[in-house]
Amino acid sequence: MSAARWAGTEGRRLRLERRLLANPRRAAILRVIGAAVALLVSGLILELTGRSAPFLAGEVVDSTFGSRFGLEETALIATPILLAAIAVAIPLRMRLWNIGVEGQFYMGAWASAGVGIFLDAPRPVLLISMAAAGALGGAAWILLPAIARAWWGVNEIITTLLLNFVAILWVGWFSIDIWRDRAAAVIQATPLVGATLPTFPGATILHVGFVLPFVLAVVFWYVFRGTRWGYEVDMAGGNPRAAEFAGINVRRRIVTVMLLSGAIGGLAGMVHLSGATFRLQQTISSSYGLSGFIVAALAGASFIGVVAGGVFIALLLHSGIALQGAGLSVYIVVAVYGLVLVGIAVGEVAARYRLVFGSPARAGSPAEERAPP
Amino acid sequence: MSPSLTLPDHGSDDAPEPDVDGLGRVVIRARGISKSFDETLALDDVDLELRAGEVHALLGENGAGKTTLSNVIAGIYRADRGSVEVDGTEHHFRSPSQAIAAGIGMVHQQFRLIQPMTVAENVHLGWHDTPSVVSRKVLVDRTMRLMDELSIHIDPTAQIWQLSVGEQQRVEILRTLARGARVLILDEPTAVLTAEQARELFGVMRSLVAGGRTVVFISHKLKEVLEVSDRITVLRAGRHMVTRYTAGATPHELAVLMTGDHSELRVRRGAARSEQPLLEIDGVSALSSRGLPALRDVTLGVYGGEIVGVAGVSGNGQTELAEVVTGLRRTESGTIRIDRTDVTDQSPRSFAEAHVGHIPEDRLGVALVRSAQVRDNAVLRQYRRPEFSTWYALRHGSIAEFARRLVAAARVQTPGIDTPTGFLSGGNQQRLVAGREAGVASRVFIASQPTRGLDVQSTGDVQRSIIDRRDAGCAVLLISDDLDEVLLMSDRVVVMYEGRIVGSFEGEEVDRRRIGLLMGGHLGEDDGRGTGE
Repeated sequence: MSAARWAGTEGRRLRLERRLLANPRRAAILRVIGAAVALLVSGLILELTGRSAPFLAGEVVDSTFGSRFGLEETALIATPILLAAIAVAIPLRMRLWNIGVEGQFYMGAWASAGVGIFLDAPRPVLLISMAAAGALGGAAWILLPAIARAWWGVNEIITTLLLNFVAILWVGWFSIDIWRDRAAAVIQATPLVGATLPTFPGATILHVGFVLPFVLAVVFWYVFRGTRWGYEVDMAGGNPRAAEFAGINVRRRIVTVMLLSGAIGGLAGMVHLSGATFRLQQTISSSYGLSGFIVAALAGASFIGVVAGGVFIALLLHSGIALQGAGLSVYIVVAVYGLVLVGIAVGEVAARYRLVFGSPARAGSPAEERAPP
Repeated sequence: MSPSLTLPDHGSDDAPEPDVDGLGRVVIRARGISKSFDETLALDDVDLELRAGEVHALLGENGAGKTTLSNVIAGIYRADRGSVEVDGTEHHFRSPSQAIAAGIGMVHQQFRLIQPMTVAENVHLGWHDTPSVVSRKVLVDRTMRLMDELSIHIDPTAQIWQLSVGEQQRVEILRTLARGARVLILDEPTAVLTAEQARELFGVMRSLVAGGRTVVFISHKLKEVLEVSDRITVLRAGRHMVTRYTAGATPHELAVLMTGDHSELRVRRGAARSEQPLLEIDGVSALSSRGLPALRDVTLGVYGGEIVGVAGVSGNGQTELAEVVTGLRRTESGTIRIDRTDVTDQSPRSFAEAHVGHIPEDRLGVALVRSAQVRDNAVLRQYRRPEFSTWYALRHGSIAEFARRLVAAARVQTPGIDTPTGFLSGGNQQRLVAGREAGVASRVFIASQPTRGLDVQSTGDVQRSIIDRRDAGCAVLLISDDLDEVLLMSDRVVVMYEGRIVGSFEGEEVDRRRIGLLMGGHLGEDDGRGTGE
């Protein structure tokens, strides 16, 4: 555009200019800076309200890194979050938003609990059956949104989101009524499942499911870097019409990718059930699906970013527990958590812009002024 | 008025014309308007005079500058040079709202209506006169009154999506007039209409000018222009050719003014023609995306070693023709054969596998994934070939090598093959597509608007790659709005009008004037209905 012609009359000033594409490394660095700034601001506010920020930071570090138990607890939180984040990141490659991981998590846990309670089989067989049931349960929960999206263009954000509530109520019904453990009448949960995941050698509470998200992250990193299927999904995400021009069946890719996402979400539920809670309870997820969603959305569908972000969020959540232990109100903890997320999001957006000294675009010139038809 | 004597303007002089009666006073006088976009000069020193009570047609081929000129007058573009006077006062519009305040309104090809809202709501949206406290009833009443005043009638309570395209257009017109437009500019209003709807629109236009308003009618259809207008201004390649009274004008004369008269251009034969046509289109009919008939019983054979150029004003079925022969659109009836194999309604992949290359008209929308790297786009049509991938792994090495070779051969200027394709200039994106598709096309090559919007050098490169395919024995179908390009490159020219092939010219028969007439829909008895029908 010929904006330069009017530059002299409008004066020079500082402005933001949008980049065509954000540099991934710059985006990563800016996210870290964003989080750091948010933590500093939180510390400052805590100081101003008469608390000792260094003392609290010490508490956090001590409780998380200071003991093996703290690390194991953090890893225990990280596992479902990472799995959920991977579930969200896969359809994001196709610009599809699965906001329903939370629901798929619940349905995966529900299906594997059903198998775990009622199927009598040796432990390895039972665990594999439970995993299969979990994956199927999660996939079934996204089947309708996937088909509706692929064939009728129904917005998957709405459908997956709304199904969350159905899943949570469904699990609630089963855990406090249908499958309730009548023997132990005090808890609103089902009986223990027949098989649990083994813990790591030498660990107290950390189960082997912790390695699953890392394995999956590597697998999908390769799938999207080095396979024909990954290439097709990326192309279909970048421009569906061009993908069709290239002979890719975009509808089928939409359904496959969403079912895969749902299956991993369901698997997350199974892993958490068989590794951490051992029974289906009304609130089996502490919003792990939503945390995972936040991680994937902030990481922008990069699997390296998902792993880093998921571990970070788990640390943050575990620190929250420590802070509450140190006498901080839960509301302040949640506020700090939110502030850090905002910091990361701002960092991510900032990577898409650069600061420019120069002439502003012509006033009153319409944005659509482009080359003539 | 205009001191410029270099322009061949016959009609816009202020000197009284013999039959000036019936025309009102001058409402708008634009003088010496020039406008360029990047390097392209879209308007070059153009004058336009509009009078009260006239339908003034702006006639010209695609890219002649009709829309650009209107956009300048309606305040959407700012001219680089020249002035616009409204009622004798010079105005420098900085926005469309300033133009509308001065009484100039434009209805664009793409309607700007809000689909789920009612007619009454759309008319009142963003309008100064809309009362600050409104009810459904008030809006409907006000709209009804407006409609009576202007004798344009549509159900004010209907939501936009329920209306036909013609009705939506009338809502746009109503909305523009409601804001006090005395000069109404209609940009290609009949392009989206059926013949019946066009007739209704002409009625509306006549009644508006009868009430003293001015209507600017942008079109490239000779018949319509002759039917509805009082005066005609012809533009060609951004230049003002003539302004004259419609009475007494002949289609021949206008066609020559519109398309030029380069009688020296000759269609040349290239390589030897194949025995059998490689691409056979046999009685094919198809619908447009709007569901209207776009192709009507088209029969055309393209032989190996020849370029068949499809001339025509855009929107006459050329886009759909390219789509049905590349698998992007389904046919309603008829057969398409590639090298005698029936491929009708096969997937785009089957066409690519049958070695049909295609430069689509909408290259950014269809041919490229702009967020993806150049290397990914280079193999987009062939990534399944064993040298590029197996079922479990992409061969990054050979993909990169292929992409590098393609970039070099097609002269794509890019920092590297890892650069996102969206970073490349339009010309380089088109070079990439043309080079890639030429590689796919070893039998048939379909090039739709291959050089639209390109600079001189990119145009030459892309045209070269098409001619190379022809010389290699490919059957080439060249579809272009640019008649010069069609005449320059084609061995045979067919003309499309309203979804039919209305003429076919070969070698010595090629007659630019007759092609121009056929493009404008002027189908006389002796208008060269040749091999195409």
